[in-house]
Amino acid sequence: MAEAGFRNAASRDIFDSFLGSSKEATARKFGVLGANFIAYK
Amino acid sequence: MAAVCPVGFNVAKLKDEVRQTYASVALNPGGDFHFHRGPEYAARQLGYDAAELAKLPREATEPFAGVGNPFKMGPLPKGATVVDIGSGAGMDCLLAGGQVGPAGQVVGIDMTDEMLARARRSAAEMGYAHVRFEKADMGALPLDDESVDVVISNGVINLAPDKPAVFAELYRVVRPGGRLQFTDIVIGTELSEDARNNIDLWTG
Repeated sequence: MAEAGFRNAASRDIFDSFLGSSKEATARKFGVLGANFIAYK
Repeated sequence: MAAVCPVGFNVAKLKDEVRQTYASVALNPGGDFHFHRGPEYAARQLGYDAAELAKLPREATEPFAGVGNPFKMGPLPKGATVVDIGSGAGMDCLLAGGQVGPAGQVVGIDMTDEMLARARRSAAEMGYAHVRFEKADMGALPLDDESVDVVISNGVINLAPDKPAVFAELYRVVRPGGRLQFTDIVIGTELSEDARNNIDLWTG
């Protein structure tokens, strides 16, 4: 995002998006989570 | 954090696989997929307000396959112009439409005809003339320079092998003072070449 020109990029809020899904084990293996991002122009 | 993911497969094939997957979700949201869908999942795991989701057409909420909740970062301003990258069946766009009000506008961008059809029907059912949907690729948005106040997205940008190109396009359309406010997948490990080239892992 910074490379594109956005400023003050930050990540917030983590989500365990694959909890209880059939891909949960794969998600755990690769550390896959959902996350919120914000950045400004 | 790596934003470019070199892959050995044809990216057009990836795009087609993604389109087919989400067309299937649109046509049969209750089908057998590896990822969660629907308003109950959105409320239970992602913090969406169940009462707000209940006001929306099931046609928009049932195929919802987001990975987080971009609205947790703050409400959208009244009168704002908002774009949703990968709008799917329109659930987030309809929520955005309620927040910005009729003085604002919401544009959902998606490449899947079946999702666009659901989204358009749902916006019409809500009477939301200020919410529209456009068929486009996230790397080539049908929007003027500096015409957008807020970009939202939910679990879509991760599907682009060339994310810097997508962010460059988003920078083009966002006004000075505007912002990105989106949710996506992050991975905690460096992927092997085999994993990066496994198209099934991309499409879920």
